[in-house]
Amino acid sequence: MSAPPTSGNAAELDPWMARLADGDRSVFPQLFAQLWPPIRRLCLSLLQNEADAADAAQEALQKILERAPADYERSRPALPWALAIAGWECRTLLRKRQRRREVPEQERPAPSADPEQSSVQQDLSRAALEALGSLSEADRETLIATFWAEAAAAPDAARAAATVRKRRQRALARLRDTFRRLYGLD
Amino acid sequence: MVSTDLTLLERKARVRYELGRLRRALLGVAPLLPVLLIALYFTQRPASTLCFGLCSAVLSIFLLWYGRDPQRAVLPGLAAGLIPLALSLCANQFHQCGPDGCSSFCAPACTLGGALAGLAVASVGTRRGLGPWFWLCASGLTLLTGAMGCSCVGYSGVLGLGVGYGLGLAPAWLRRTKATRAKSR
Repeated sequence: MSAPPTSGNAAELDPWMARLADGDRSVFPQLFAQLWPPIRRLCLSLLQNEADAADAAQEALQKILERAPADYERSRPALPWALAIAGWECRTLLRKRQRRREVPEQERPAPSADPEQSSVQQDLSRAALEALGSLSEADRETLIATFWAEAAAAPDAARAAATVRKRRQRALARLRDTFRRLYGLD
Repeated sequence: MVSTDLTLLERKARVRYELGRLRRALLGVAPLLPVLLIALYFTQRPASTLCFGLCSAVLSIFLLWYGRDPQRAVLPGLAAGLIPLALSLCANQFHQCGPDGCSSFCAPACTLGGALAGLAVASVGTRRGLGPWFWLCASGLTLLTGAMGCSCVGYSGVLGLGVGYGLGLAPAWLRRTKATRAKSR
């Protein structure tokens, strides 16, 4: 497994995404190389399965680049937006897998030695993805930007710290409500 | 994932990106359809109206798909083109008859509409400080949209539209060229 050579850093992502959204195709390879590693990592951490993560990351990356001209807002940082789409894709894939029951639960490789702990962790991941999926795109972006280290380090997020904090509070409250409604927790 | 898979994925993503842009371009041109239908209903030369309308639609789709400055020219270009189109379609409904026969107001309406459209495009281009591609693409679209109605008296109407448009656009274009030259010195 090898990641493509990455040039530049996350700070360059916003102008590149803006240029691509505007129709400047010359930044496409750089943007692709820059987006792939964080999306892959997010999908792997959410799905806990190599093959599923690869599928979700591929589909997510294609969707991100397809949707960039129509949906990307220049005023917002590109990485949280992209990660929100990837998070949504992970949730969709998980639901699809559950419906089709392509991969039985027992066949999945256990991330930890303790099968009980791994099962609990998978249930928690699934529950978090379910709840995350029912939120609005802005809320998803905020939460992923908050809890995803690389996105949280983006300079724009630091600049608008107060706004992000407020949005995070609201998004967390909505997430809690959704969680309660979904799983009958009171 | 090995690098060949990533190359393939990049190619797929690129295709999806281009298709996404094309879908958006088709959506963006949709408002032109009712304009074309109205023009076809009122015009006396449906064949040429249809021809100019289709050319205008194809050019708009291409520019919206391409992006950058040409994309920004689509809305001002189409909107400015509606001025001569509306004037010519209205003028088409009236004519003056004398002992030598009847004459239509179509050509003067096209010239006046063209001049107003030229002023409108020049105003947008100057205010936004856009490059030559904007001016070129917006002019093409304005002329094609206006020509849908200005073909009412044959190609003299289209010629009148072109002359009027040139007159409306020229002062701002000359000012812009002068300013660019002064900057480069």
